[in-house]
Amino acid sequence: MAKTIMIVDDSASLRQVVSIALRSAGYDVIEGCDGVDALRQLTGQKVHLIISDVNMPNMDGISLVKAVKQLPAYKFTPIVMLTTESQEAKKAAGQAAGAKAWMLKPFSPPQLLNVVQKLVLA
Amino acid sequence: MADTKTGEFFPRPTGGSQIARRLNQMHGSAVGLAGALAVLAPGSVTPGRALAAAALMISGAAGDWHRARSRSAAEGATAAFVAGTEQLGRDVLPVWSAHIENARAQMEHAVAALALRFGGIVDRLDEALKASHPAAAQGGEGVFEVSTRELHAVLESLRTAMTSNRDLHAEVQSLGRFVDELLQMAAEVSSISAQTNMLAINAAIEAAHAGENGRGFGVLAQEVRKLSGLSGDTARRMADKVNVISAAIKAARQSAEQSTERGSAAAAAAESSISEVLGNFRSVTEELEASADVLTRESQGIQAEIVEALVQLQFQDRVSQRMTHVRHNIERLPELLRDTRHRYETERALQAVDTGVLLAELESSYAMADERATHKREGAAAAAAPAVEEVTFF
Repeated sequence: MAKTIMIVDDSASLRQVVSIALRSAGYDVIEGCDGVDALRQLTGQKVHLIISDVNMPNMDGISLVKAVKQLPAYKFTPIVMLTTESQEAKKAAGQAAGAKAWMLKPFSPPQLLNVVQKLVLA
Repeated sequence: MADTKTGEFFPRPTGGSQIARRLNQMHGSAVGLAGALAVLAPGSVTPGRALAAAALMISGAAGDWHRARSRSAAEGATAAFVAGTEQLGRDVLPVWSAHIENARAQMEHAVAALALRFGGIVDRLDEALKASHPAAAQGGEGVFEVSTRELHAVLESLRTAMTSNRDLHAEVQSLGRFVDELLQMAAEVSSISAQTNMLAINAAIEAAHAGENGRGFGVLAQEVRKLSGLSGDTARRMADKVNVISAAIKAARQSAEQSTERGSAAAAAAESSISEVLGNFRSVTEELEASADVLTRESQGIQAEIVEALVQLQFQDRVSQRMTHVRHNIERLPELLRDTRHRYETERALQAVDTGVLLAELESSYAMADERATHKREGAAAAAAPAVEEVTFF
């Protein structure tokens, strides 16, 4: 049974790039265009890991992490922040919200898969 | 000229400056009046003096009129400039902003489509790789190994059949020995019959010599002779049947021998043919495997190139963010230009747009380190694409 991973990013091209990397490694992928869309899709299905951008319209990534941690079904689901945001203050906010890792774009697919495998198997 | 501190072209109107302004406006007329009085004061009014005084007064009034007209023209031009600048913000900047957004959206759409194509190529390469390695689909056992195993099974069946044939041949040969024994037994029965017949003839002769007393013995001898004849016939029929069986067994043995020989020859030929076919097949499969290896290496190389392309495609996200930040900053400008016009119209104060505010807002929207470097004019290093970064685990 393949693990399901959600990628949340307002950039369609970036969602595509992440999806290609994950699907080629055998994962199922769900895409969300912002925090609100991600929360809507989380209800009613099992997601094993969430990869989220930080700066997004409607609901940003940090707010999404906080909201996900309030959901009983996703309280322990690992979340990776995948962002161009390099400010230490934002990174600290992500950690405080409950994110498990902070990856800066651009990323390499092998590097992303390495992070995903570590967190999905943990 | 604008005041460097307040940005105002004119001092704000106050009570004192209002009087000064009035006096300023009256300056030409006052000078003209003073000149006229000076001309007329020293003595009696002569036509010449009166004319000179009138000329001085007219000259002063004309100066006032010219100054008022120039001032009015300057104020009109300033108002037009302020209104035009505000119109620039209202009409032109939204068009620039729309172009930036349109370019960003088109780029995003195109790069997403490109990424989708790359995804399709990766999927098709995976399919091609699976198709080129059927051995992998058979649990690691190659086509050649499977074929060899199955053909050797066929050969083994042939050998088993040959062994059964030889066993049958041996059985038939053992039957031949029984036939000889049966013939011997039939000959013995025939001999016993002949001897019994001879005894019966002698007994009949002896019975005839005994006369009336030997009549009963003669009948008995006659019956024994008949039995001897019957047993002799039986022995002959037995010998005939055994000869027929013997001939049949001999024919079966010859047939079995020929079958065994043919079977052996066929098995040897089959083994030779199979070895030859397998040899040819091995060379073909080795060539195919070599081709598949080349295909695998090439496919893996292409996949590696695609992975690198996927890294490079992420430039779109970075460029898109930069364009969005700049667009938002441009969209702030019309509001600031409206404020400038409003202030001029209500307070007659001209204040330039505060570029510091705009730049600060732009800087606060940055997410990327290279954006900040560009903002600080750090040159070519800022324009270079950033390398793949490390990951921080919490």
